[in-house]
Amino acid sequence: MTTLRSWLGRYGALVRTAWLVDIQYRAAIGLWLIWGVLEPLITLGIWWTIAGDGPVQGYERADFARYFFAVIVVNQVTIAWDAYYIDSWIRGGEMNHRLARPIGPIHEAIADNLAYKIRAVAVVTLVWGLVAIAWPAVRIPFEPGRWVLAALATLLAAAIRFLNGYATGLLAFWTTRATALVSLQYGVSMFLSGRIAPLSLLPPAVVSVSSVLWFPWMLAFPVELLTGTITSGRTIANGFAMQIVWTLAWAGLYMLVWRRGIRHYAAVGG
Amino acid sequence: MDEAIRADELCKTYRVKVRDSGLAGALRALVRPRYRDVRALDRVSFGVAPGEIVAFLGPNGAGKTTALKILAGLLHPTSGRARVAGFEPWQGGPPFKRRIAIVLGNKQQLLWDLPAEETFLLNRAIYDVSMADYRERLDNLIDLLVLGEVIDKPVRQLSLGERMKCELVAALLHRPDILFLDEPTLGLDVAAQDTIRTFLKAYRDRYGATVLLTSHYMADVTALAQRVLIINRGRLLYDGELSALVARHARNKRLHLVLGDGVTAADLERFGDVREFAFPHATLEVAREEAPRVSAALLSAVSVVDLSIQDPPIEEVIRRAFEVGDDGGAAGDQDDAGATRIRDGASAP
Repeated sequence: MTTLRSWLGRYGALVRTAWLVDIQYRAAIGLWLIWGVLEPLITLGIWWTIAGDGPVQGYERADFARYFFAVIVVNQVTIAWDAYYIDSWIRGGEMNHRLARPIGPIHEAIADNLAYKIRAVAVVTLVWGLVAIAWPAVRIPFEPGRWVLAALATLLAAAIRFLNGYATGLLAFWTTRATALVSLQYGVSMFLSGRIAPLSLLPPAVVSVSSVLWFPWMLAFPVELLTGTITSGRTIANGFAMQIVWTLAWAGLYMLVWRRGIRHYAAVGG
Repeated sequence: MDEAIRADELCKTYRVKVRDSGLAGALRALVRPRYRDVRALDRVSFGVAPGEIVAFLGPNGAGKTTALKILAGLLHPTSGRARVAGFEPWQGGPPFKRRIAIVLGNKQQLLWDLPAEETFLLNRAIYDVSMADYRERLDNLIDLLVLGEVIDKPVRQLSLGERMKCELVAALLHRPDILFLDEPTLGLDVAAQDTIRTFLKAYRDRYGATVLLTSHYMADVTALAQRVLIINRGRLLYDGELSALVARHARNKRLHLVLGDGVTAADLERFGDVREFAFPHATLEVAREEAPRVSAALLSAVSVVDLSIQDPPIEEVIRRAFEVGDDGGAAGDQDDAGATRIRDGASAP
């Protein structure tokens, strides 16, 4: 009980501190949020135009609208930036005082994620709700069971993307190119996670390759679950199974890289 | 009594990528990378008793900070053993980390954009310090550090001295038994340096903390540490009392003179080695045992307004110790003052 209270206190303090820092950088945070929203909106604009001539493989204009509004929300929950901080801390020496603390640096990152995502999701969901009042195309059918499953899938997607970014960032213990690897993955994920188009619009060979990787489970799966594109119980169960497999795989990789990385750490500077 | 810190044969080797300059060198490094092993610590052994303040001295890149970071558990050694507060530092985990604090003079843990108190509150939660203890300790530390009303100002608006004081508060709120301080007075003005030295002594006296520090400022060392560890190129060259080091290596005395009208450098040369001459000031170096006789002779032979006799600056003494250690000359053979040892890679005392 005492341990649980200690951890709640620590997370409370970490989240509070992250909020206080964010208030100092409110303009930058606001711009980042706008960029996170703009990218799917621009993509929606392109598909909206294309679908003006008729459905694209069964996707009508309203389907694209629902899909990319769901992408906006799921992306805000799953977005991962930690690799850039870790890389800079390891190479600049700011990791030192974090290693001297009795809690691992990953807790600071988790709290930082909670601080940003709680606020960002509240904002984009509210905006979505307001837009849905005026624009029926982006309305999601009221199915509480599906929403709960979609929320669960979004949390698992966030875990995969967080652990993937964190473990990749830790490669900075060995290489100066860790963030380049993160950017490379982001580029690949534009296609394979369903960020640029629903996966069913991609060539079947690409879809089958992506389905065994972690990319679609970080975005497309929760988005399609939320919009009602996936209905089969078997597909949903398979999706959750893949999410659990990739969460565990990246958690294992994180632990491996962390344990080896701190042995390799050269504690740059001061 | 068990030692608070014990290091045995600690070695740390870094693998460094070697690259020739220019575009061709960069391309060659891509095709065929070359590496060089740099030994930052070479079989370093020493112990520190509870409540002792010990200073690590050495030039840049000597291995001082590497040793400190290994003992604080931030780095894994390549080989060797260490015990700090009863733990193997790099395996100690949270129970060990609650017993120690490390302050790095050129890397801050304070949150740059927020008042220092926000970092203190964060550390209170991380180290699980009760609010009552936090208030009492904070008041105490503010009092000892003469910190005044700065903890509610954003860190970026604090002076360097105020920031270092706040760094110490952040590091000490969980009341560690063992402090590792890397250049705690780096870049501070004389008054701030003095406050921090006074504070560290008071903290040690009040809580019995063990302190291992590195500093480039000899004033830190002379004010705080009776015992010094001199390290160069990863090797421990000396482990003993500072006064013994001075006695052994300061073989000369310096006569600082304020001269009367008409005295030239040539007039002084027959009395000793003229180190500086900028009339009316001059510095003369003479053999230690000759100092009283030469002083008397000087006063009777030339016009002297003022005369004082001093040891050479401690920096020169240390530099001489490095030279002796590097030559391997007098290593390990002149235990003329208790714990005094000059050595070249010798084992622990």
